Amino acid sequence: MASVASAPIPRSQVDLVDFVDWRGVECLNQSTSHSLDNALKQGYRDDDGLHLESDADEQLLIYIPFTQVIKLHSITIKAPEEEGPKTVKLFANKEHMGFSDVNDYPPSDSIALCPENLKGQPVNLKYVKFQSVRSLTIFIEDNQGGNDISKIQKIVLYGTTVDTTNMKDLKKIEEH
Amino acid sequence: MVMYSERGVRVLANLYPSNPENTVGVLTMGGKGVRVLVTPTSDLGKILACMHGLEIGDEMNLTAGIQVAQLALKHRQNKKQQQRIIVFAGSPIKYDKKTLEAIGRKLKKNSVSLDIVDFGESDDGKPEKLEALFAAVNNNDSSHIVHVPPGPNALSDVLISTPIFTGDGDGGSGFAAAAAAAAAGGMSGFDFGVDPNIDPELALALRVSMEEERARQEAAAKKAAEEAAKQEKGGEQASSSRDATMAETNSSSAPAVDDKRHNLTDDEAALLEQALAMSMDDPKSTNVAVADTDMSEATADDHELALALQMSVQDNEKDLQSQSEMSKVLEDQSFVSSILHSLPGVDPNDPSVKDLLASLQGQSESQQKQNEDKQENEGDE
Repeated sequence: MASVASAPIPRSQVDLVDFVDWRGVECLNQSTSHSLDNALKQGYRDDDGLHLESDADEQLLIYIPFTQVIKLHSITIKAPEEEGPKTVKLFANKEHMGFSDVNDYPPSDSIALCPENLKGQPVNLKYVKFQSVRSLTIFIEDNQGGNDISKIQKIVLYGTTVDTTNMKDLKKIEEH
Repeated sequence: MVMYSERGVRVLANLYPSNPENTVGVLTMGGKGVRVLVTPTSDLGKILACMHGLEIGDEMNLTAGIQVAQLALKHRQNKKQQQRIIVFAGSPIKYDKKTLEAIGRKLKKNSVSLDIVDFGESDDGKPEKLEALFAAVNNNDSSHIVHVPPGPNALSDVLISTPIFTGDGDGGSGFAAAAAAAAAGGMSGFDFGVDPNIDPELALALRVSMEEERARQEAAAKKAAEEAAKQEKGGEQASSSRDATMAETNSSSAPAVDDKRHNLTDDEAALLEQALAMSMDDPKSTNVAVADTDMSEATADDHELALALQMSVQDNEKDLQSQSEMSKVLEDQSFVSSILHSLPGVDPNDPSVKDLLASLQGQSESQQKQNEDKQENEGDE
């Protein structure tokens, strides 16, 4: 388990929300009225009234693909004290995981959140494990209070890009 | 029993070619144990072939069957496909409600939809159990349950009328419906009243014919507009003796009207044509008037100019009058002499002045002057 160091974000790290490939974002076991957009999308995530909620049980499996390769430095999770997540496992570059798969591979990083983290303090991750991330899977195993439902108000990912070519910036050369 | 359920599967299988990305698999759970007869495939022949030689077991292992089905779906080739299980529950169920509910929750957690067809023997609270399972798994009406009472009706006929076959917003039933197609195709809201899932070729044919009809109508409207424009231009050429500027404005406005007309329907085009014809008549008449009476137009245009013209005409007359007046004044000798006296440096007695005066006036007057001068001279001496 990584230490939950709550350090300020270094200035080079940026909010990776701009690089999320929204078409491929998935969340298993989310409640339909409280979906992942509430926690991840700009605008929604800052509204504390909107949160992500689990449905059948307290576990959540969040899959976030990116538009380009990034390095992940740290993560911020803001959640209520009782229903906020406790054990969070992160998997890099594992597509389409299911709840049965989470025990098949070791996670790239696993963090245990304390109530201070849930107030919005960022958690540094094992940076070396997230050097070339195309997609991120966040598995919320249980919550602080052991409740049946987990709630998350805000998830922010911090990191940098790996300076790959952004295909949209390429302009076709006019052929004569 | 076998025949009925076989037909039910066949009807289901027929739906799948509607979306080429669908895959279907079949497994049985009665008898010896759960057996996967066909792993999910889009090959319809394979699915139908496996229907032969199906056994009817006495009990079915529902939970194991669902779990195996879930596993088979998990290992599907196209991960983007949505997962759906359709259960034909003919035999009695030996599991209790709680177990079934747990299974249902697990399915919901993994976003697997479940369609339940309850038929055959119904005892031991089978319908209730299946209802509990359905309630546990249902998420936003993506799952369905149908109870088929035992009777003379064929299973397939009953199933056709159920939501399992008519489909919901997701685009119908099936083990797998391509998620990409669902996102892009806009499956809710079918054009032409034909479900593109059920019959994509018919839907495509209808759409193409609709577009062709629309293109034909536009071409017809365009053609009508062109013909009307030709008629207009012919009328312009006939009226040759027109003011140059007026003709130019006419011809420039006609193309503009044509452009507008392309967007009009046939009815509006006809009306506009009439209006244009009427407006064409008016300019013709006014043209003649303008050509003939430039001055009147000018006066009409410039009232001040007209006044000025009039005044200038009157002034000419006045000048003439004033000139005549002047001469009369000069003829009045006494007046002239009084003026001359008032003039400094002018001696009325000066002979040059007198001569001048005499020349101005008529001879009779000059003679009078000479007479007066003589009298004055005589008076002086």
